[in-house]
Amino acid sequence: MMHDPVLSIPVLETERLILRAPASRDFDTLAAFFADETRAWGFGGALNRDEAWRWMASVLGHWALRGYGFWMIADKESDAALGLCGIWNPEGAPEPEIGWVAFAGAEGRGIAYEAAQTARRHAYEVMGMGTLTSNILPGNTRSIALAERMGAHFERTYENRRLGEMLVYRHPGPEAVS
Amino acid sequence: MTRGTRIPPHRARSRVARFTEAPNPEGPGGPFAGMATYETSVSPGISAPVIETDRLILRGPEGGDFDAFAKFYASERSTMNGGPLDPPQAWRAFATAIGHWTLRGYGMWSLVERSSGALVGRVGLWYPGGWPEPELGWTLYDGFEGRGLAQEAALAARSYAYDMLGLGPLISVIAPDNLRSIALARRLGATHERDWALPSGAPVWIYRHPDPEAT
Repeated sequence: MMHDPVLSIPVLETERLILRAPASRDFDTLAAFFADETRAWGFGGALNRDEAWRWMASVLGHWALRGYGFWMIADKESDAALGLCGIWNPEGAPEPEIGWVAFAGAEGRGIAYEAAQTARRHAYEVMGMGTLTSNILPGNTRSIALAERMGAHFERTYENRRLGEMLVYRHPGPEAVS
Repeated sequence: MTRGTRIPPHRARSRVARFTEAPNPEGPGGPFAGMATYETSVSPGISAPVIETDRLILRGPEGGDFDAFAKFYASERSTMNGGPLDPPQAWRAFATAIGHWTLRGYGMWSLVERSSGALVGRVGLWYPGGWPEPELGWTLYDGFEGRGLAQEAALAARSYAYDMLGLGPLISVIAPDNLRSIALARRLGATHERDWALPSGAPVWIYRHPDPEAT
Protein backbone atom coordinates (compact mmCIF):
# COMPACT_ATOMS: atom_id res chain seq x y z
CA MET A 1 0.00 0.00 0.00
CA MET A 2 1.35 3.36 -0.92
CA HIS A 3 0.30 6.84 0.01
CA ASP A 4 0.50 9.84 -2.17
CA PRO A 5 3.67 11.67 -1.37
CA VAL A 6 2.37 14.44 0.78
CA LEU A 7 4.82 14.71 3.58
CA SER A 8 3.44 15.13 7.03
CA ILE A 9 6.06 14.27 9.56
CA PRO A 10 4.91 14.73 13.14
CA VAL A 11 7.17 16.32 15.69
CA LEU A 12 7.40 14.37 18.93
CA GLU A 13 8.74 15.89 22.10
CA THR A 14 10.18 13.98 25.02
CA GLU A 15 11.81 15.14 28.20
CA ARG A 16 15.16 15.82 26.56
CA LEU A 17 14.55 15.31 22.86
CA ILE A 18 12.69 16.38 19.78
CA LEU A 19 11.94 13.80 17.14
CA ARG A 20 11.53 15.71 13.89
CA ALA A 21 11.96 15.43 10.14
CA PRO A 22 15.53 15.05 8.91
CA ALA A 23 16.63 18.33 7.37
CA SER A 24 19.48 19.61 5.24
CA ARG A 25 21.14 21.13 8.31
CA ASP A 26 21.59 17.61 9.72
CA PHE A 27 23.43 16.34 6.69
CA ASP A 28 27.04 16.84 7.80
CA THR A 29 26.35 15.00 11.06
CA LEU A 30 24.59 12.21 9.21
CA ALA A 31 27.36 11.90 6.64
CA ALA A 32 29.98 11.73 9.40
CA PHE A 33 28.02 8.95 11.08
CA PHE A 34 27.73 6.91 7.88
CA ALA A 35 31.41 7.47 7.04
CA ASP A 36 32.42 5.55 10.16
CA GLU A 37 32.01 1.82 9.56
CA THR A 38 32.65 1.06 13.22
CA ARG A 39 29.48 2.97 14.06
CA ALA A 40 27.37 2.44 10.94
CA TRP A 41 27.80 -1.32 10.55
CA GLY A 42 24.79 -2.05 12.75
CA PHE A 43 22.66 0.46 10.86
CA GLY A 44 22.94 -0.84 7.32
CA GLY A 45 26.65 -0.27 6.85
CA ALA A 46 28.94 2.59 5.93
CA LEU A 47 27.98 5.02 3.17
CA ASN A 48 30.09 7.60 1.46
CA ARG A 49 28.89 11.20 1.46
CA ASP A 50 27.02 10.93 -1.83
CA GLU A 51 25.30 7.73 -0.77
CA ALA A 52 24.43 9.33 2.55
CA TRP A 53 22.69 12.20 0.71
CA ARG A 54 20.57 9.74 -1.23
CA TRP A 55 19.82 7.81 1.95
CA MET A 56 18.61 10.96 3.66
CA ALA A 57 16.41 11.79 0.69
CA SER A 58 15.07 8.23 0.74
CA VAL A 59 14.04 8.69 4.37
CA LEU A 60 11.84 11.62 3.35
CA GLY A 61 10.49 9.58 0.45
CA HIS A 62 9.79 6.70 2.84
CA TRP A 63 7.64 9.03 4.91
CA ALA A 64 5.82 10.12 1.78
CA LEU A 65 5.22 6.59 0.52
CA ARG A 66 4.48 4.81 3.82
CA GLY A 67 3.23 7.58 6.07
CA TYR A 68 5.96 6.82 8.59
CA GLY A 69 9.73 6.66 8.67
CA PHE A 70 12.82 7.73 10.54
CA TRP A 71 12.86 10.84 12.65
CA MET A 72 15.98 12.77 13.42
CA ILE A 73 16.56 12.67 17.16
CA ALA A 74 17.48 16.23 18.04
CA ASP A 75 18.57 17.80 21.29
CA LYS A 76 15.66 19.77 22.71
CA GLU A 77 17.83 22.73 23.64
CA SER A 78 20.33 22.96 20.82
CA ASP A 79 18.51 21.12 17.98
CA ALA A 80 21.75 19.20 17.39
CA ALA A 81 21.23 15.89 15.61
CA LEU A 82 21.90 13.09 18.11
CA GLY A 83 20.69 10.04 16.23
CA LEU A 84 17.91 8.42 14.26
CA CYS A 85 14.83 6.59 15.37
CA GLY A 86 11.66 5.55 13.65
CA ILE A 87 9.61 2.99 11.80
CA TRP A 88 11.21 1.51 8.70
CA ASN A 89 9.59 -0.67 6.09
CA PRO A 90 11.12 -0.33 2.65
CA GLU A 91 10.22 -2.61 -0.24
CA GLY A 92 11.49 -6.10 0.53
CA ALA A 93 11.36 -5.78 4.32
CA PRO A 94 9.36 -8.47 6.13
CA GLU A 95 7.26 -6.01 8.16
CA PRO A 96 7.59 -2.59 9.79
CA GLU A 97 10.40 -2.41 12.30
CA ILE A 98 11.42 0.17 14.83
CA GLY A 99 15.05 1.16 14.41
CA TRP A 100 17.40 3.43 16.29
CA VAL A 101 20.95 4.64 16.41
CA ALA A 102 22.77 7.21 18.50
CA PHE A 103 25.53 9.19 16.82
CA ALA A 104 29.05 9.54 18.26
CA GLY A 105 29.02 11.43 21.51
CA ALA A 106 25.32 10.80 22.12
CA GLU A 107 25.60 7.27 23.45
CA GLY A 108 25.36 6.19 27.04
CA ARG A 109 22.72 8.75 28.01
CA GLY A 110 19.61 6.74 27.28
CA ILE A 111 18.78 8.87 24.28
CA ALA A 112 17.98 6.01 21.93
CA TYR A 113 15.80 4.42 24.61
CA GLU A 114 13.92 7.64 25.24
CA ALA A 115 13.38 8.19 21.53
CA ALA A 116 12.42 4.59 20.78
CA GLN A 117 9.87 4.45 23.60
CA THR A 118 8.19 7.56 22.21
CA ALA A 119 8.36 6.39 18.61
CA ARG A 120 6.87 3.00 19.53
CA ARG A 121 4.07 4.59 21.49
CA HIS A 122 3.33 6.95 18.61
CA ALA A 123 3.32 4.05 16.16
CA TYR A 124 0.81 2.17 18.27
CA GLU A 125 -1.42 4.97 19.49
CA VAL A 126 -1.44 7.43 16.62
CA MET A 127 -0.38 5.44 13.58
CA GLY A 128 -2.45 2.45 14.63
CA MET A 129 0.19 -0.21 14.18
CA GLY A 130 -0.60 -3.52 15.83
CA THR A 131 2.85 -4.96 16.29
CA LEU A 132 6.48 -4.00 15.76
CA THR A 133 9.77 -5.78 15.33
CA SER A 134 13.39 -4.70 15.45
CA ASN A 135 15.83 -6.39 13.10
CA ILE A 136 19.28 -6.50 14.67
CA LEU A 137 22.56 -7.83 13.36
CA PRO A 138 24.09 -10.60 15.48
CA GLY A 139 26.76 -9.09 17.69
CA ASN A 140 25.10 -5.69 17.99
CA THR A 141 24.99 -6.08 21.73
CA ARG A 142 24.00 -2.50 22.47
CA SER A 143 20.94 -2.73 20.26
CA ILE A 144 19.99 -6.13 21.64
CA ALA A 145 20.27 -4.73 25.16
CA LEU A 146 18.04 -1.80 24.20
CA ALA A 147 15.47 -4.07 22.55
CA GLU A 148 15.34 -6.21 25.67
CA ARG A 149 15.09 -3.14 27.87
CA MET A 150 12.03 -2.20 25.82
CA GLY A 151 10.51 -5.59 26.53
CA ALA A 152 11.17 -7.07 23.08
CA HIS A 153 12.15 -10.72 22.81
CA PHE A 154 14.02 -12.73 20.22
CA GLU A 155 11.59 -14.36 17.84
CA ARG A 156 13.48 -15.73 14.85
CA THR A 157 16.17 -14.97 12.36
CA TYR A 158 15.64 -13.80 8.81
CA GLU A 159 17.91 -13.37 5.85
CA ASN A 160 18.32 -9.72 4.87
CA ARG A 161 19.37 -9.85 1.23
CA ARG A 162 21.96 -7.16 1.70
CA LEU A 163 23.11 -7.58 5.29
CA GLY A 164 22.78 -11.32 5.81
CA GLU A 165 21.24 -13.02 8.80
CA MET A 166 19.45 -10.72 11.22
CA LEU A 167 17.78 -11.31 14.56
CA VAL A 168 14.12 -10.40 14.66
CA TYR A 169 13.05 -9.05 18.04
CA ARG A 170 9.31 -8.75 18.67
CA HIS A 171 8.11 -5.85 20.75
CA PRO A 172 5.26 -5.98 23.22
CA GLY A 173 2.01 -5.00 21.52
CA PRO A 174 -0.02 -1.82 21.93
CA GLU A 175 -2.01 -3.17 24.87
CA ALA A 176 1.16 -3.95 26.81
CA VAL A 177 2.81 -0.56 26.47
CA SER A 178 -0.13 1.85 26.70
CA MET B 1 27.06 26.17 -8.44
CA THR B 2 24.49 27.80 -10.65
CA ARG B 3 25.02 30.61 -13.07
CA GLY B 4 22.76 33.12 -14.70
CA THR B 5 20.49 33.56 -11.69
CA ARG B 6 17.55 35.76 -12.54
CA ILE B 7 15.40 35.20 -9.50
CA PRO B 8 16.87 35.48 -6.00
CA PRO B 9 17.09 31.95 -4.61
CA HIS B 10 14.97 32.73 -1.55
CA ARG B 11 12.18 34.05 -3.75
CA ALA B 12 12.43 31.21 -6.17
CA ARG B 13 12.39 28.70 -3.38
CA SER B 14 9.27 30.13 -1.82
CA ARG B 15 7.43 29.36 -5.01
CA VAL B 16 8.02 25.66 -4.80
CA ALA B 17 8.45 24.84 -1.13
CA ARG B 18 5.17 24.29 0.65
CA PHE B 19 4.92 24.06 4.38
CA THR B 20 1.77 22.49 5.66
CA GLU B 21 0.58 22.66 9.20
CA ALA B 22 -0.89 19.37 10.24
CA PRO B 23 -3.62 19.29 12.87
CA ASN B 24 -2.62 18.28 16.34
CA PRO B 25 -4.77 15.26 17.19
CA GLU B 26 -2.87 14.35 20.33
CA GLY B 27 -1.87 17.61 21.87
CA PRO B 28 -0.50 18.28 25.32
CA GLY B 29 -2.68 16.58 27.88
CA GLY B 30 -3.50 13.75 25.49
CA PRO B 31 -2.21 10.23 25.76
CA PHE B 32 1.36 11.47 25.73
CA ALA B 33 0.96 13.65 28.80
CA GLY B 34 3.87 13.20 31.12
CA MET B 35 5.84 11.35 28.51
CA ALA B 36 5.79 13.18 25.24
CA THR B 37 3.69 15.74 23.51
CA TYR B 38 2.68 15.54 19.90
CA GLU B 39 3.33 19.00 18.68
CA THR B 40 1.95 20.71 15.65
CA SER B 41 4.04 19.45 12.83
CA VAL B 42 5.62 21.71 10.29
CA SER B 43 6.27 19.45 7.39
CA PRO B 44 8.72 19.83 4.60
CA GLY B 45 6.21 19.25 1.85
CA ILE B 46 6.87 18.02 -1.58
CA SER B 47 5.03 20.45 -3.71
CA ALA B 48 5.83 19.79 -7.29
CA PRO B 49 4.20 22.29 -9.61
CA VAL B 50 2.02 20.87 -12.35
CA ILE B 51 3.11 21.89 -15.83
CA GLU B 52 1.03 21.25 -18.91
CA THR B 53 2.37 21.02 -22.43
CA ASP B 54 0.61 20.16 -25.69
CA ARG B 55 0.59 16.45 -25.04
CA LEU B 56 1.83 16.01 -21.48
CA ILE B 57 1.20 16.80 -17.87
CA LEU B 58 4.28 17.08 -15.69
CA ARG B 59 3.37 16.37 -12.07
CA GLY B 60 5.17 15.30 -8.93
CA PRO B 61 5.86 11.62 -8.31
CA GLU B 62 3.08 9.66 -6.63
CA GLY B 63 3.07 6.28 -4.95
CA GLY B 64 1.14 4.78 -7.83
CA ASP B 65 4.00 5.64 -10.19
CA PHE B 66 6.30 3.12 -8.56
CA ASP B 67 5.32 0.11 -10.68
CA ALA B 68 6.25 1.82 -13.93
CA PHE B 69 9.45 3.12 -12.35
CA ALA B 70 10.39 -0.37 -11.12
CA LYS B 71 9.54 -1.92 -14.48
CA PHE B 72 11.84 0.50 -16.26
CA TYR B 73 14.66 -0.10 -13.77
CA ALA B 74 14.24 -3.87 -14.08
CA SER B 75 14.92 -3.60 -17.81
CA GLU B 76 18.20 -3.49 -19.64
CA ARG B 77 17.22 -0.07 -20.95
CA SER B 78 18.01 1.33 -17.51
CA THR B 79 21.71 0.47 -17.83
CA MET B 80 22.44 4.02 -18.96
CA ASN B 81 20.41 5.44 -16.05
CA GLY B 82 22.10 3.67 -13.14
CA GLY B 83 20.19 0.38 -13.51
CA PRO B 84 19.22 -2.31 -13.60
CA LEU B 85 17.77 -2.31 -10.09
CA ASP B 86 15.81 -5.02 -8.32
CA PRO B 87 12.50 -3.96 -6.71
CA PRO B 88 13.97 -3.14 -3.27
CA GLN B 89 16.71 -1.06 -4.88
CA ALA B 90 14.21 0.59 -7.19
CA TRP B 91 11.95 1.43 -4.25
CA ARG B 92 14.81 3.18 -2.47
CA ALA B 93 15.70 5.06 -5.63
CA PHE B 94 12.08 6.09 -6.04
CA ALA B 95 11.95 7.23 -2.41
CA THR B 96 15.18 9.18 -2.97
CA ALA B 97 13.64 10.92 -5.98
CA ILE B 98 10.69 11.99 -3.83
CA GLY B 99 12.94 13.21 -1.02
CA HIS B 100 14.96 15.15 -3.59
CA TRP B 101 11.94 17.43 -4.02
CA THR B 102 11.91 18.10 -0.30
CA LEU B 103 15.62 18.71 0.06
CA ARG B 104 16.14 20.73 -3.11
CA GLY B 105 12.73 22.23 -3.80
CA TYR B 106 12.74 20.67 -7.25
CA GLY B 107 13.17 17.25 -8.78
CA MET B 108 11.98 14.82 -11.40
CA TRP B 109 8.39 15.07 -12.58
CA SER B 110 6.30 12.12 -13.70
CA LEU B 111 5.05 12.52 -17.26
CA VAL B 112 1.43 11.73 -17.96
CA GLU B 113 0.14 11.65 -21.52
CA ARG B 114 -2.92 13.89 -21.61
CA SER B 115 -4.84 11.93 -24.21
CA SER B 116 -4.46 8.52 -22.59
CA GLY B 117 -3.51 9.17 -18.97
CA ALA B 118 -0.55 6.84 -19.50
CA LEU B 119 2.62 7.28 -17.47
CA VAL B 120 5.23 7.78 -20.17
CA GLY B 121 8.40 8.61 -18.26
CA ARG B 122 10.19 11.12 -16.08
CA VAL B 123 11.78 14.45 -16.81
CA GLY B 124 13.15 17.07 -14.49
CA LEU B 125 15.89 18.56 -12.42
CA TRP B 126 18.29 16.28 -10.64
CA TYR B 127 20.92 17.43 -8.16
CA PRO B 128 21.75 14.73 -5.63
CA GLY B 129 24.83 14.80 -3.41
CA GLY B 130 27.99 14.41 -5.46
CA TRP B 131 26.54 15.96 -8.61
CA PRO B 132 28.51 18.93 -9.95
CA GLU B 133 25.42 21.10 -10.41
CA PRO B 134 21.71 20.75 -11.23
CA GLU B 135 21.03 18.56 -14.22
CA LEU B 136 18.17 18.42 -16.70
CA GLY B 137 17.37 14.73 -17.05
CA TRP B 138 14.87 12.66 -19.00
CA THR B 139 13.75 9.06 -19.30
CA LEU B 140 10.97 7.64 -21.43
CA TYR B 141 9.42 4.31 -20.57
CA ASP B 142 9.13 1.49 -23.08
CA GLY B 143 6.84 2.19 -26.01
CA PHE B 144 6.80 5.97 -25.69
CA GLU B 145 10.01 6.82 -27.49
CA GLY B 146 10.26 8.33 -30.94
CA ARG B 147 7.41 10.83 -30.63
CA GLY B 148 9.29 13.82 -29.25
CA LEU B 149 7.70 13.52 -25.81
CA ALA B 150 11.00 13.78 -23.95
CA GLN B 151 11.89 16.91 -25.88
CA GLU B 152 8.50 18.47 -25.19
CA ALA B 153 8.81 17.76 -21.46
CA ALA B 154 12.48 18.74 -21.26
CA LEU B 155 11.78 22.11 -22.83
CA ALA B 156 9.02 22.76 -20.30
CA ALA B 157 11.20 21.65 -17.40
CA ARG B 158 14.12 23.76 -18.60
CA SER B 159 11.94 26.83 -18.93
CA TYR B 160 10.62 26.25 -15.43
CA ALA B 161 14.15 25.92 -14.08
CA TYR B 162 15.27 29.11 -15.79
CA ASP B 163 12.19 31.27 -15.30
CA MET B 164 10.86 30.11 -11.94
CA LEU B 165 13.88 28.76 -10.09
CA GLY B 166 16.56 31.04 -11.46
CA LEU B 167 18.73 28.07 -12.33
CA GLY B 168 20.85 27.75 -15.37
CA PRO B 169 22.42 27.22 -17.72
CA LEU B 170 21.76 23.60 -16.87
CA ILE B 171 23.83 20.56 -17.66
CA SER B 172 22.77 17.10 -18.74
CA VAL B 173 24.83 14.11 -17.64
CA ILE B 174 24.76 11.44 -20.33
CA ALA B 175 26.44 8.07 -20.79
CA PRO B 176 28.68 8.19 -23.88
CA ASP B 177 26.81 5.29 -25.48
CA ASN B 178 23.37 6.78 -24.89
CA LEU B 179 22.97 7.98 -28.45
CA ARG B 180 19.28 8.83 -28.16
CA SER B 181 19.92 11.11 -25.19
CA ILE B 182 22.87 12.73 -26.90
CA ALA B 183 20.71 13.41 -29.95
CA LEU B 184 18.04 14.96 -27.76
CA ALA B 185 20.58 17.09 -25.90
CA ARG B 186 21.76 18.43 -29.25
CA ARG B 187 18.20 19.13 -30.39
CA LEU B 188 17.78 21.11 -27.18
CA GLY B 189 20.79 23.19 -28.13
CA ALA B 190 23.17 21.64 -25.60
CA THR B 191 26.79 21.00 -26.46
CA HIS B 192 29.41 18.66 -25.06
CA GLU B 193 31.37 20.56 -22.44
CA ARG B 194 33.56 18.03 -20.66
CA ASP B 195 33.94 14.48 -19.49
CA TRP B 196 33.07 13.48 -15.97
CA ALA B 197 32.83 10.32 -13.90
CA LEU B 198 29.77 9.48 -11.83
CA PRO B 199 30.34 8.88 -8.11
CA SER B 200 30.12 5.19 -9.09
CA GLY B 201 33.10 5.70 -11.39
CA ALA B 202 31.20 5.32 -14.66
CA PRO B 203 32.41 7.74 -17.34
CA VAL B 204 29.82 10.22 -18.57
CA TRP B 205 29.67 13.29 -20.75
CA ILE B 206 28.44 16.63 -19.50
CA TYR B 207 26.38 18.58 -21.98
CA ARG B 208 25.76 22.28 -21.37
CA HIS B 209 22.41 23.79 -22.27
CA PRO B 210 22.09 27.29 -23.71
CA ASP B 211 22.00 30.28 -21.37
CA PRO B 212 18.56 31.20 -20.06
CA GLU B 213 18.76 34.39 -22.14
CA ALA B 214 19.20 32.35 -25.30
CA THR B 215 16.21 30.07 -24.83
